[in-house]
Amino acid sequence: MRNTYLWFLQLVTGILIAVLLGVHMVLMHLDAILGFFGVYVNDVTSWGSMIERSRQGIWAGLYIALLAVVLYHALNGLRNVILELTPSARTERVVTWAIVAFGIVAFVWCSYVPIALLSA
Amino acid sequence: MRQIQPRRNYLGAVGWLWAGNYKLERYLYILHRITGLGILLFLLLHLMMTTVFRIQGQDVWETTMSILHNPWFKIGEYLVVIAFVYHALNGLRLILQELGFLMGRPTPPIYPYRDSLRKKRPWTIAMIAVVVILALVFFYDFVAGGW
Repeated sequence: MRNTYLWFLQLVTGILIAVLLGVHMVLMHLDAILGFFGVYVNDVTSWGSMIERSRQGIWAGLYIALLAVVLYHALNGLRNVILELTPSARTERVVTWAIVAFGIVAFVWCSYVPIALLSA
Repeated sequence: MRQIQPRRNYLGAVGWLWAGNYKLERYLYILHRITGLGILLFLLLHLMMTTVFRIQGQDVWETTMSILHNPWFKIGEYLVVIAFVYHALNGLRLILQELGFLMGRPTPPIYPYRDSLRKKRPWTIAMIAVVVILALVFFYDFVAGGW
């Protein structure tokens, strides 16, 4: 039963990622095509552009939300791939808790940085 | 007394890549997994880049960016974009199918049989077509935006 809920969350986070990461991809990569439609983004990877976005709470919030759903989707997907080898119950527990620990550490560190950079 | 052996259908890691006598969607599943793991690898590098190197200030960030603007990294970035587009659209197709869409109504098994499962094939082809179009759009932008 527990895995059913995990799988359902995998579907929900998948849809959220398709939307949020779609925005991220268009903003980061389609500058020439956005220009064609009259939307001009300046060089998004330059320090000035990056730090300007970092100072706005809306971007920090969006990126932390994206981080949470992406980490869940990626690590749960990795767990499903590993557990498809049908390891023993003990190995399954070890894999699960290693992935949960990694996810928590990655989330805390990667959401600390945008919060710290809000006042940069 | 003859002992009946259970069928050996445990494939282990071979099952990740060997699809046997299955059709297109089974190979798309393998590709889904490969692109997923590739994106996970990229995600780890990306999170490293946008945290450890970003918090150290302008000089470190600009040095990192000048390294990442090298053509080989740009090609890798393009591959990640295609992997994301494929994984997203194939994933949406899988979600719709899991919820029962795109497959038509189940029909009673009366001759001549109509296979409702086969109705998903046109949607699969359409999904691949959209992936190809988006790959070309992003390719145009990578070339027009300079490597």
